[in-house]
Amino acid sequence: MKIGFPRALYYFDYYPFWAGFFYNLDIELVTSEPTHRGIMESGLKMAHDETCLPVKLLAGHINSLKDVDYIFLPRMVSVEEKTYLCPKFLGIPESVSAAVDGDIPVITVTINWREGQNQVLKALEAFGLKLGKGKAMIRNAFQEALKWQTMYGELRRSGEDFEESLDLCEKSFTILPRETSLKLAKTNQYKVCENREPRPGIALVGHAYLVNERYANLDLVNKLRANVDLKLIEETETKAVENSLKGLRKKMFWSQAKKILGAGYSYVDDETVDGVIYLSCFGCGMDSVSQDMLARRARKAHKPYMVITLDEHSGEAGLVTRIEAFVDMIVRRIENESNLSAYGKCLDNN
Amino acid sequence: MSYFLGADVGSVSTNLVLIDADNKVKEALYLRTKGQPMQAIQKGIKMLRTRIGLKAQIMGVGTTGSARQLAATLLGADVIKNEITAHAVAASRLYPQVRTILEIGGQDSKIIILRDGIVVDFAMNTVCAAGTGSFLDQQAARLGLPIGEFASLAVKADNPVRIAGRCSVFAESDMIHKQQLGHSLPDIVAGLCQAMVRNYLNNIGKNKRILGPILFQGGVAANPGIHRAFENELGQEITIPEHFSVMGALGAAYLAQEKVGLTAKPTHFRGLEMAESSFQAGSFDCSGCANNCEIIRIKQNEEILAQWGDRCGKWSGNIGKEEDNKAAGHK
Repeated sequence: MKIGFPRALYYFDYYPFWAGFFYNLDIELVTSEPTHRGIMESGLKMAHDETCLPVKLLAGHINSLKDVDYIFLPRMVSVEEKTYLCPKFLGIPESVSAAVDGDIPVITVTINWREGQNQVLKALEAFGLKLGKGKAMIRNAFQEALKWQTMYGELRRSGEDFEESLDLCEKSFTILPRETSLKLAKTNQYKVCENREPRPGIALVGHAYLVNERYANLDLVNKLRANVDLKLIEETETKAVENSLKGLRKKMFWSQAKKILGAGYSYVDDETVDGVIYLSCFGCGMDSVSQDMLARRARKAHKPYMVITLDEHSGEAGLVTRIEAFVDMIVRRIENESNLSAYGKCLDNN
Repeated sequence: MSYFLGADVGSVSTNLVLIDADNKVKEALYLRTKGQPMQAIQKGIKMLRTRIGLKAQIMGVGTTGSARQLAATLLGADVIKNEITAHAVAASRLYPQVRTILEIGGQDSKIIILRDGIVVDFAMNTVCAAGTGSFLDQQAARLGLPIGEFASLAVKADNPVRIAGRCSVFAESDMIHKQQLGHSLPDIVAGLCQAMVRNYLNNIGKNKRILGPILFQGGVAANPGIHRAFENELGQEITIPEHFSVMGALGAAYLAQEKVGLTAKPTHFRGLEMAESSFQAGSFDCSGCANNCEIIRIKQNEEILAQWGDRCGKWSGNIGKEEDNKAAGHK
């Protein structure tokens, strides 16, 4: 049996879990190709006009999956206690499969960690039974899947790139001994040459499915890495995220926004971060809240802050202009700071 | 005489500025790009040459604007900078005290916040072109007025009408509606100016502390109606620099001077003769992978000067004689 998994949306956060789950159920998982022009265009044509770019991309990816027995679209309601995922995630099996007409049947399972691990396991058991697998096998697959996801998180925190992490994570459970792949991760880590002059530190925050989606974001991560020392939310410890959100009057309701805002707040206070960039896209309800909250915090701390909004026809020129101007601003600021001692004082008065 | 050249090639205008050794503006040209940036640049260089003579020496070249890469290829630039830095450099050289720059150009509008001569914050409009020069151009054309006349109309208004400025499509239908009700043209144009300024301050100026001295630059600063609406809205005097329409080019010239002065390297400038060279621009779809990138190629005779538009670097990293490229296995 072959199951198709679209390389979009939850792929960028939770693929290791699902890859581990299906691997241990002895089911072949086929992912769609990385986004290219054809996928994007078919997605734009099919998806509902008012939805956001990532959901449109999902439609394109579903459409590009051929030669599989089923297409798997999980309904990810919640991935941790007391938070929900984006409402669009909740309705995906219906909303997106309505937009994409194809002959391949869609299978789904509801994942809701708000109800606790037992409920998640129960849902997965029912799902696995339908696929003809035994209960013991499903339980084991669930435990293994959690390990895959944890391993992926560790790799990201060690500074490993997104694609490399996915690759290494998969290998470490399938072919390589665990220790070898961890060692590999350490040698592969992105490092700055030591003899280079110091570069500005910039943190890039935003949804994983925008930051790691290289086609749609015009390879923003590598464009930035060419000029700055880049920090990503995946590299930030969960503890730091939670600590920096302690002052909020109300808990963040959405888990993605919690991660983005928590990491964002910690960057605002971090002296090694000279500026924060928020990558967002049109039509994101969550970002409309967290983007502004982060803007206010950054402004209070006089930390340079910029929002980049993606849409389907993002011209490269506009993006490059903004990045260049932002980096220039920070570099000129740093150069000036070392000449002018009264700089910080002046700034605070204004 | 020796000069530094700055070129700002934007969507609507192509501006060239020459500064002399004393940082004085020697020549400033404001030309319409008319969708043909290459021709506009060559035309501009021809005009400059007749004014300064062939003996004049260009010590360095800087380019900016949305076609800065194209301009840099044609001219042989020493420094290529984004518009925000270029505008900020020009403004802070001329007015060291400036703390806010309002800039409205053909297709984009920006706000730049400076403190002690350093950019501390900026914002640019998103893809929407509402509230930029090209919208004003369109409206003037719709009323059958030259843009200069359109601009001066607003000052004659007694009672500006209220127009929705959130979106230029809605603004247009609002204007037509008001016009059919019988409001006078000056009142409508003045209302439009106010709506544009409101929209600018709500979008671009959101979350920014706009403190004086304020400069207003870019092509739209020629419009007294917008200038007045800004002053009313912000409640303070706003200065329009003498060379408001070519500040980007001026900034690029200053940056070229900085760069060449620092490195003491000879300029890459192709020479004033470039006005006569024939450049060919072409594009094609690369079929190397599923992305089908549109590649732009600039050639001079048989030599490829520059290529861009690819995501992988296969073309942009490969310039020189076309024969060599063929030998290397490319098209």
